[in-house]
Amino acid sequence: MKNQHLNQGDMKRSNLTPLIRVENLSFDYDKKGPSLIHNISFSLNEGEVTLLMGASGSGKSTVSLCLNGLYPEAVEGYSEGNIYFRGQEISQFEKGELNQQIGIVFQDPESQFCMVTVENELAFTMENIQTPREEMASKMDDVLEAVGLTDLKERPIHELSGGQKQKVALASVLLLEPELLILDEPTANLDPVSSLEFVELVNQLQKDRGMAVFIIEHQLDDWISFTDRVLALSREGELFADGSPDHVFQKYEKRLVSEGVHLPKDIQSSSLHPATRTTDDLGGETVSIQNLDFKRKKKTILSEVNFSLYQKEFVAIVGENGAGKSTLLQVMAGILTPNKGNITFLNQPLKQWGEQSLRQKMGFVFQNPEHQFITDTVYDELAFGMKLNGTPEQEMKEKIDELLRHFQLQNHLWSNPFSLSGGQKRRLSVATMLDETPELLLFDEPTFGQDAKTTEELMSMVLELKNKGTTIVFVTHDMDLVDQYCERTFVLNKGKVAFQGSPDELWKKEEVLVEARLRLPYRIRKQRTEAGEVYDLVR
Amino acid sequence: MISSVNPALKMVAILIPGVLLSFSFDIFTPLAYLIFVVAFTFMFSNIPVKKWLLVFTPFVFLALGFAWMTMLYTSEGFSGGSVLFEFWWFEVTTGGLMVGISLALRSLCFVALSLMFILTTDSTKFMLSLMQQFKLPPKLTFGILAGYRFLPTFKHEFEVLRQAHRIRGIGRAKGVKGRIEQFRRYAIPLMANAIRKAERVAIAMESKGFTGETDRTHYHHMTIGKKDWAFFASIVGTFFIVIITSYQLGYLNIFGRQF
Amino acid sequence: MMKQWKLKEIVLMSIFGVVFAVIYLLFYFFGQGLRNFLTPFGLAPFGYEIIFGIWFIVSIIAAYVIRKAGAAFWSELIAGTVQVLIGSPAGPQLIISAAIQGLGAEAVFLATRYRNFSLYVLVLAGMSAAVFSYAWGWFQSGLAALTPGLIIATFSVRVISGALLAGLLGKYISDQLAQTGVLRGYALGKEWQEKREKSAS
Repeated sequence: MKNQHLNQGDMKRSNLTPLIRVENLSFDYDKKGPSLIHNISFSLNEGEVTLLMGASGSGKSTVSLCLNGLYPEAVEGYSEGNIYFRGQEISQFEKGELNQQIGIVFQDPESQFCMVTVENELAFTMENIQTPREEMASKMDDVLEAVGLTDLKERPIHELSGGQKQKVALASVLLLEPELLILDEPTANLDPVSSLEFVELVNQLQKDRGMAVFIIEHQLDDWISFTDRVLALSREGELFADGSPDHVFQKYEKRLVSEGVHLPKDIQSSSLHPATRTTDDLGGETVSIQNLDFKRKKKTILSEVNFSLYQKEFVAIVGENGAGKSTLLQVMAGILTPNKGNITFLNQPLKQWGEQSLRQKMGFVFQNPEHQFITDTVYDELAFGMKLNGTPEQEMKEKIDELLRHFQLQNHLWSNPFSLSGGQKRRLSVATMLDETPELLLFDEPTFGQDAKTTEELMSMVLELKNKGTTIVFVTHDMDLVDQYCERTFVLNKGKVAFQGSPDELWKKEEVLVEARLRLPYRIRKQRTEAGEVYDLVR
Repeated sequence: MISSVNPALKMVAILIPGVLLSFSFDIFTPLAYLIFVVAFTFMFSNIPVKKWLLVFTPFVFLALGFAWMTMLYTSEGFSGGSVLFEFWWFEVTTGGLMVGISLALRSLCFVALSLMFILTTDSTKFMLSLMQQFKLPPKLTFGILAGYRFLPTFKHEFEVLRQAHRIRGIGRAKGVKGRIEQFRRYAIPLMANAIRKAERVAIAMESKGFTGETDRTHYHHMTIGKKDWAFFASIVGTFFIVIITSYQLGYLNIFGRQF
Repeated sequence: MMKQWKLKEIVLMSIFGVVFAVIYLLFYFFGQGLRNFLTPFGLAPFGYEIIFGIWFIVSIIAAYVIRKAGAAFWSELIAGTVQVLIGSPAGPQLIISAAIQGLGAEAVFLATRYRNFSLYVLVLAGMSAAVFSYAWGWFQSGLAALTPGLIIATFSVRVISGALLAGLLGKYISDQLAQTGVLRGYALGKEWQEKREKSAS
């Protein structure tokens, strides 16, 4: 239960005391070496929206769990310094008491629920704070309405989309009626439209309820318009910026870039130019698809798909979740067999390719790099394909050395692939596909949830391959990436190709974009805002 | 209706005959009880017959296989009676045949009982009533529910792994060593992911104010009333009636001892 | 009873239970196939016995990773219950056999007062689970109806299977997992971390 006398006592001087005051906080999982979070101090004020930036691995999430007192105990880590909630040191709160005043929405939509249905999940939260049973139904209906999920009350959570799941998470946290709402990269795994919807919902709720919001993010664009204050955490776990967004971005621009933070595109000077789209010096045909149909359990996933891909081409497949993008990629890779239609790869029907030679000529990078790892060490991962192809020992060693150097994995030769950092895993997953330079390289959402630096590294690798003649296909939600790098783009909508052509043409086709729930890239949005047109398609 | 019976008590009611049936080795007892369970299921639930049959039928074949094996390997204590037929070094007696059929019917009884439970019970409410009626600690109850929620995601993840392995050029596993290697290749990433999720879910639950203490309110208030006891009495009572009838008719056989 | 347990340990144990419930069910059908294969050779009763150890493996893994009282018992019970909920042909009495197998493994860990998790103890726990499960099978699945020679033979095979497929394989899988670094927050992961630090210094 909430600590009533404390609340009242503090009410009068709420302007003087911050909601949360962190003093010289350090945290680490073990006691040796420099700590993960190093001696940081800041405060969060009532009703204020604060944003914490920092590259992945800088310990941003750790900060949030320290604030509500779950760390260091939950992970048996070590911390120093003090955290005060309304002037009271957090260790003096009883177990669970503080958690009920600070609500957190986490990054991964798959793993923040413990019940099967939306209804039961919301009930779980209310039971925790001992809401009387008679009040539960009406509270539940209110919160569902507030987040716009009334129709989904009885649905199993695992059947919902990522965006809906995050709204459920938000709803259950709102039931705590928290003083502080913490959002830990809540949109990192969402498509752009769902992501924008979520941000706007938070904006609305904050205005209605006036609670303090603490956002942890490295994609700032959508949040920045209603952020009052920005904090930035370095890779060494030190806080190096604290102030209004304008002030921070002006003063620390260089530092932020070197720390791998995605700067808001408003401020970025570079990288806003579209690709110099080369269409004339393309090579021969790599893939050709005719009249392709694919059904899953009688449900049509893809129908009447026709297109060709050429050497040295970078193509993006875009569309809403469930439009059939990943399926199309898998059909092209020959891991799913179409019900109808022909696919030729390098002028030979895909069906006639031997499995082994096909895998040498074609690579596929999965969304989650871990799915591709099959051995215990980085070295074995790289050697696996070559051993399978019977590459001579000496040649193999040289090739592996080259890959290790190129992908900056030399120091992790004998590490277990699972124990690498996010960026290293991504690099390794691409490296395993390059034991021979493939003719076609397919990527399923490779930049999802990655920080700016990892994305940049990946793109430079990809462009290098492209220049060697490899055809690159990305399934992606990132329209800025499409705008910046791709020669052509295919829009999939309900299993059909609704558009194919250059991105510049696509940006003009408003009805295609609306239909497929796509957002315009930032560059175009800015142009249009300046010209006084409606800046976005959602709403 | 069976679906409205308190799930925890329902489980106990089903476990009692489920365990005690194991002691009978005659044909009459499991057959009579099987008929009762099937009739009871359809009288007091909305389970479509077709759906039920779809699940039940494969087990009939399993049960027949089970009967066949027992028949061939019956010990002397059970294999009384005349020799029915012989082949290779097997000798099938009437006693063996009886035990075989009995075991087959028994396993069908188990299946019918399980189906009665599974098809009429919401697993969340089952766990909640274990907590509310049988004092299972909330920490364990919600911990188990959190783990159970991941079941549907495993299937998906398994499928993705299979595809990813194919891309890496791994074919079908050959030989024992190959199979163990393959098992490892699937098990490690599946479990590694599960472990990370376990940690995240636990943190998410605690940050929603879950402490594991027993002083919490209940959205689904589970109770045991007259109707629940009536169900219990029918399932368990009928079992004993069948046993007694079987005894009176002279069929009852417990561990090969005729009564 | 669960006071010393952290919530994340309970969730982990439960997820292990769910994962292995699925694996157990697959092995049920695999065992069926194995038995059909062995029938012409007159070895049908050994079909399940050879692979029986796999059904104890979650006890070994959970106990070895988490190292708290009850891990072996509860994880096996959860795996058994989940199997029933997803539709195992063995029916509700599976819950009871799971509990008994779990107790078999738990007994060994209890005897070491949850202090020793060496290979030897894990193998012993697998064997103990096999002994408990055979004793229960004597009543429940009609093992009593088999000939004495066959009883001795099947019993020995099951115990060996428990030692290898539960004890040995369970340790192997857990160690492989620890190597990936994901167990950092659990007892086994910490042990690995310490070892690594020692060998580094």
